[in-house]
Amino acid sequence: MPHLKDYIKSLVLTAAILLIAGGIFIYSGLYPIGADVPHTRLTYWLLETMRERSIANASQSIDIPQDLNTSARLLGGGADYNDMCAGCHLKPGKSESDFSIGLNPTPPNLTESKHVGDDVAIRRQFWIIKHGIKASGMPAWGPTHSDQRIWNMVAFLQRLPELTETQYQILTARKSTSHSNSH
Amino acid sequence: MRTKFSTYILAIAALGTTLTAQAHDPKEHMKDAEAPNCASMHNMEHGKMDMDDPIMVAMMQQCMDEMHGDKSQATEEAEKEMAESESMHEHSEHHH
Repeated sequence: MPHLKDYIKSLVLTAAILLIAGGIFIYSGLYPIGADVPHTRLTYWLLETMRERSIANASQSIDIPQDLNTSARLLGGGADYNDMCAGCHLKPGKSESDFSIGLNPTPPNLTESKHVGDDVAIRRQFWIIKHGIKASGMPAWGPTHSDQRIWNMVAFLQRLPELTETQYQILTARKSTSHSNSH
Repeated sequence: MRTKFSTYILAIAALGTTLTAQAHDPKEHMKDAEAPNCASMHNMEHGKMDMDDPIMVAMMQQCMDEMHGDKSQATEEAEKEMAESESMHEHSEHHH
């Protein structure tokens, strides 16, 4: 029957060996960091779990405006989406782009309805647009865009999956009398 | 000397902040702006349009100028045609 002291000793030793091995692996440069080589399943799981838990935790207390589904917000958000997001997150009639093919992880196709719906999804979208996601290609738009302008984009995203190509073109065209609310 | 240096630093920081804030001004995108293709709205089935739907309201707002333009042009053409037919009618009445 091993003694408790021996058990703790071997646990500390194992942890130390793992740490050293991890350090050697990191400094060896053997991990393929190129975006054209997919992550391992374990890396995907680690990154995705950490991302989703972090966003859920940080976004839970965000207040959603009551007037999200209005024409003014759709027009303000539509033009910004087209200029800043469509290259990666696509638009009606487009299933891929250079960015969506080349980025790793692949940016979600926001023209699909699985990205809209409940309050949790709405808060999540606002938080991601405002703060971005580290090492994913998703920038933080918060430093250069007001909350109102980001909410406009969220409002547009909520209706994006139901838009036809024609509707998308009309809604995202930026006229001289633009409806962008940079409050 | 130190105050002068601090002033320079503050001025550069303020300028940097201003330029950053302007970076994503909607006006910056205007040079590449595309006009809404409102002509395609004419092909839509008006009976199926929900005029209370924010998407439809937004489209109408985007195309309001063009639609009003079309309307006034159409009205002008109709008035012109009417005036022409009236003048022809008067002319033929004078003949009789």
